[in-house]
Amino acid sequence: MTIDVNAYLGHFAFRQLRHNTPDALLRLMDSKGIDRAMVSSAAAITYRNTQSGNEELFAAIRPHRDRLIPMAVINPFYAGWRDDLQICCERFGMRGLRIYPKWHNYALTDTCCAELIVAATERKLPISIPLRVEDYRQRSWLVDVPDIPVAELVELIPKHPAARFILLNGAGYSGSPLGTQAAKLPANYWIEISRLSAVMANEFGQLLSQLGPGRLVFGTGMPFHYPDPALLKVQVLDASEEVKEQIRSRNALALLGEQARDQK
Amino acid sequence: MEPASPITRRSLLQGSAAAAGAVLTGVYPSRAAAEANSAPGNKPLVIDCHAHLHQQSLPDYQERDHLLIEAADKLGIDKLCCSILTRSRPASVEGFQECNAWLVEAIKRFPDRILGWCYVNPEHSKEALEEIRRYVEQHGFIGVKLYNERVCIDPVVFPVVELAIELRVPILHHAGHSHRPYPNQPNISDGGDLTELGRRYPEARLICAHIGGGGDWEWSIKAMRHGANVLLDTSGSVIDSPMLELAVETLGVDRILFGCDMSMTAGVGKMRALDISPADKQKVLGGNMLQLLAMRSRT
Repeated sequence: MTIDVNAYLGHFAFRQLRHNTPDALLRLMDSKGIDRAMVSSAAAITYRNTQSGNEELFAAIRPHRDRLIPMAVINPFYAGWRDDLQICCERFGMRGLRIYPKWHNYALTDTCCAELIVAATERKLPISIPLRVEDYRQRSWLVDVPDIPVAELVELIPKHPAARFILLNGAGYSGSPLGTQAAKLPANYWIEISRLSAVMANEFGQLLSQLGPGRLVFGTGMPFHYPDPALLKVQVLDASEEVKEQIRSRNALALLGEQARDQK
Repeated sequence: MEPASPITRRSLLQGSAAAAGAVLTGVYPSRAAAEANSAPGNKPLVIDCHAHLHQQSLPDYQERDHLLIEAADKLGIDKLCCSILTRSRPASVEGFQECNAWLVEAIKRFPDRILGWCYVNPEHSKEALEEIRRYVEQHGFIGVKLYNERVCIDPVVFPVVELAIELRVPILHHAGHSHRPYPNQPNISDGGDLTELGRRYPEARLICAHIGGGGDWEWSIKAMRHGANVLLDTSGSVIDSPMLELAVETLGVDRILFGCDMSMTAGVGKMRALDISPADKQKVLGGNMLQLLAMRSRT
């Protein structure tokens, strides 16, 4: 089984996306052998009121809940976020969060962010953090949103040992405390692979060696990204099929609180 | 730990399940190119049009170069069109001369795998022209690599273009278009500049480098629409969909060249994603590059 922890639906403000409806995304997934995907609203990245994006997502994927796993985009710097979180969790059945501190104008060290992380952790929701939405070289003339530096995550993660973070669209972990067990950070973060090199510098292989297979999760960034590079990275990884299966699906299932059917 | 399962070029580069088994069956663009460049068994070639080998002042350059070849082997890439760039730019005469000499040595280390781009700084016109002629005529380099020392429509670049036309070789030009200034690259060219250069020199064959590493790819592709003699290289770390479909739809498949620029799984992954006919896929993977290489052998 393959589960994509890094997928999106809807429109993005700065360019047209293809395969961005549930039916189209599912067709793409079928053609690539991806069984399920954690999806969030692409529009919510730039909506002031992100809850509108969550509502759109909830309505769109209702017939496809077996394969599309909704993630809520919550902005803790915006009025009513606790109500939004409650609705997303209890009424919409959303299974985790995506947060965009740089796009939504708050810092990971702000009190509001800490409050959201605590609230999500109480609800046992994993919190995914995209380090970027687009490559910085192609950003619009209207906005100048930087990537989240790995150093800011290094500061955040140990403050919330009970939280579970999924780091999306990132690279450059090797050489940072996130890339080694020697730094003794809590094992409460998972690294998604879509931007990791898998040959030559081979950050994928390095992280596998340093952190073990339980800390890497498969993700593509589709439909912003082609899913094929991430699939290829797993394919060329020097690892057993069991390790690859753990990365492709078992770690994601554990984050969702589900058991793999064939798990020993 | 078990090694990764054996990977064939066919499995890596197939565009879709329907295309499996047929994707690498293509037609060579010309007999001359086929004879000069075909792999053993007349198998169509996969050519990475944009790669780099390492400066030999680095203590581990051989290991780094070997890792590139190992990656190419793993990913089903037959040949890599490489340059070696100076560590900092603008390149001095001594700097680009040293890089090109290193590349000759590297080509000997990896026989039949490396094709050489001659890197020069066009500001040093006399030495740049001598360097290009020497490395194309005596060492079989396939063309010219220009970086960001001057915008390509700066007249100082024109003698290089005219010599490339005379020698019948293409120019691979570093490029990018951002809506905010590129740090440290005030003279970077973009797809619009290369299209304008191509308009001034219709006999030239220009390659706009790394659409996946050159900023706003939609802008670049649209800017190149009418530049019939300007090709686009697919390399770079950006794997945005539908970058390649837009390129094929806007420019036509004959103007697209497969490349990685060292982002190897991104480069090959994008090719797997591109859902076009097997014959068109083979043009992108190697056929179009063979057309460019064949220019040199034409009389």
